[in-house]
Amino acid sequence: MSDTDPPVAESDSESTATDRERANGEGSAGEEVVVAESLRRSFGDLTVLSDVSFTAESGTVNCFVGPNGSGKTTLLRIVAGLLAPSGGRLDVAGAEGRAVGYLPQNPAFRSQFTLAETLGFYEDLAGVEIDPADVLARVGLDAVADRPVGDLSGGMTRLFGIAQATVGDPPVLVLDEPSSGLDPTMTEHVGTVIRDLAGQGHTVLLATHDLGTVDRVADTVLVLDDGIIQVADSPETLRRETGSETLTHAVAQYLVGEAGGLTVRTGSRESGGDGEDGEHGEGEDE
Amino acid sequence: MSEAEPATESGNEAEAAGDTAGGDAVRPWNDRRVGQLLTVAQREFDTVTRTRTYAALAVVFGLVVVALPSLGGLAGYLPLVLDLLTAVEVLVPVLAFGFGTWTVLADAETGELAVIRTYPVDRSTYVLGAYLGRAVGLLVAILAPLVVLGVATPVVREPATSVLASHGTVDSPTYFLRFVALTCIYGLVALALAMAVSSLARSRRSGVAAAVVALLVVVLGFDLLVVLGVGQGVLGSGTLPLALAASPPAAFRGLVLETAAGGLVETGPPAANAAASVVGLAGWLVVGLALATLRAWSPVGE
Repeated sequence: MSDTDPPVAESDSESTATDRERANGEGSAGEEVVVAESLRRSFGDLTVLSDVSFTAESGTVNCFVGPNGSGKTTLLRIVAGLLAPSGGRLDVAGAEGRAVGYLPQNPAFRSQFTLAETLGFYEDLAGVEIDPADVLARVGLDAVADRPVGDLSGGMTRLFGIAQATVGDPPVLVLDEPSSGLDPTMTEHVGTVIRDLAGQGHTVLLATHDLGTVDRVADTVLVLDDGIIQVADSPETLRRETGSETLTHAVAQYLVGEAGGLTVRTGSRESGGDGEDGEHGEGEDE
Repeated sequence: MSEAEPATESGNEAEAAGDTAGGDAVRPWNDRRVGQLLTVAQREFDTVTRTRTYAALAVVFGLVVVALPSLGGLAGYLPLVLDLLTAVEVLVPVLAFGFGTWTVLADAETGELAVIRTYPVDRSTYVLGAYLGRAVGLLVAILAPLVVLGVATPVVREPATSVLASHGTVDSPTYFLRFVALTCIYGLVALALAMAVSSLARSRRSGVAAAVVALLVVVLGFDLLVVLGVGQGVLGSGTLPLALAASPPAAFRGLVLETAAGGLVETGPPAANAAASVVGLAGWLVVGLALATLRAWSPVGE
C-alpha cells in the first residue's frame, strides 16, 4: 500500500474486521479498491487461508488460480461479504449502495421468472433504477429478456449471473469460475465481457482453473496455494520470470504441490462442510 | 462506518440498518425497507402462483374441505363448523408446510441466497417478505373452499335432522365467519413454523424430513403430551387449559369451541383458555418467524 492510501486499522484477530468503505465515491483508475491484509480463515482446526494479502485496483482484472481446495472460493466469499475472516483485515472501497457484485460458482435463479423479471427483483433490492435491456446487453442476452430463466443453457445462466452481478453498479465484481463448463466460443465471450466490465471501471476478482481465459483477461494473476498468495503479477511477467512459454507452466512453478493436483488439507470442519459456520451455504468446491 | 469502528456487521447488514442510504439515497430508510419487503413478497407470491405443485396442493385441500361436510349434507353454519373442525386442524398445517418449506431453503439450495446477501437487504426484511408473499397464497388456498361452503350452505341447506341444526335460532353465519378467521390465523401460525423449518434445514432431503417431523409434532405431538400429562397426573384442572393453549391445534380448537360453536358444545374439562390460546398462537407465530430470521443467515462478523 502507498502512503496515500486510506488509513487501515491495526490488524486484529479478535475483531475479524471486514470494513467496507463506501465514502470514497467511484474509484478512479489505478485506485486501490480492495485491500486485504493477512487474511486468515479456519473451519474448526482446518486452516484454509493462513496469511493472504493483496490489493486490487479499479479497472483491473485480478485472477486467483490454484489447485482445488486451495481456498479460492473461500477467499472470494470473504471479499463478497458472505463469510467473515478468522483474522486479518479487508477493506473494500466504493460508491454508496451495493459494494460487491457476486457470481457464485453454480449460479441459479428461480426458473419461473423471466430474465427481465429477475433483474427487476434485484433492481428493487439494490434500490436503483436500471434498464434490464441495457444490463442484459452487456452480456449479449438482451434478445432473450422475456424468456424464463429456466429455459437458459448453463452458459447463458452463467452470463446472466454476470449481468446480475452488475446490478447496482458495484465497484467490485467477484466472479467464481465464470467460464466453468462453457464451450470455447462462450468462454471467449465471457472473457470479452469481463474485459469490458473492467474497462467500465469495475474491479474484477475472479477464481478459475481456465488459464487460457486468465492469460487473455488478467491484469494480475494471484497464485493461491498452501493458504497464502505465492505470487501476484501479470501473465507476461510470470512467464518471463519463470522462462515459461505458457501461463500453465509458469503458474506450476509457484505451486507448492504438483501442478494440477488436489490440495488435501488435514483437519476437521467442526462447523460443517459448507464453510459458513453452520448456516446455509453453497457447498461448492474450492 | 469509520476505520476506527469495530466491524461487527457485514456491509450489507450495516447498510440495511441505515448506515448508508444505498443506491437511492433520497428514499428514507423505512420506505426503502418496505419496498424491499414488498419486492420479496411479490416474488414469493408469484412463485406460488406459477408453480403447479402449489396449485395442486390447493386444489386437493379445497376438494377435501368442500367434500367432507357436503357428504353428510349442509345443515347449517354451526354443523358446518363442527364438521370441519377436526379436518382443518390437520389439513391446514399440512397445506401451510407445503407452501412454506421451500422458501429460504429453495434459495439456499440454488445458491441464490448468497447472491441476495450481496444486496443491501437485511435478513428480517427478506424473511418477513417471503412470509408475507407465501401467506397471501396460503390464505387464498384456505379461503377459497371455505367461501364456497359459506355461500353454498344457505342455498343447499337440507332439512334439519340433527339436534344442533334444529336450533334454528342459534345458527348464524357469524359463527362460520369466526371459524374462517380462526382458521386463517391457525394457517399463518403453521406457515411461520414451516418458515422456521425452511431456514433450519440444510438440504432438500433434511427439509422434507424436518417438515414431516415438525408436522407430526404440531398436529399430534403436543396433544399427545397433554394426554400423557393428564394420564400421569402432572396436569390438573388448573394447568390443563394452559397446557392446551401451548399446543397450536388445541389452542385453535379451544378458540373455535369458545367463540364459533355457539356455546353448544360442552367439553367436560375446560377447553384451552381463550386468552391463553391467543397468547399461545401468537407465541408460536413469533417463535417461528424469529427462528426463520435468525437461521436464514448470520451477518458477517457476528
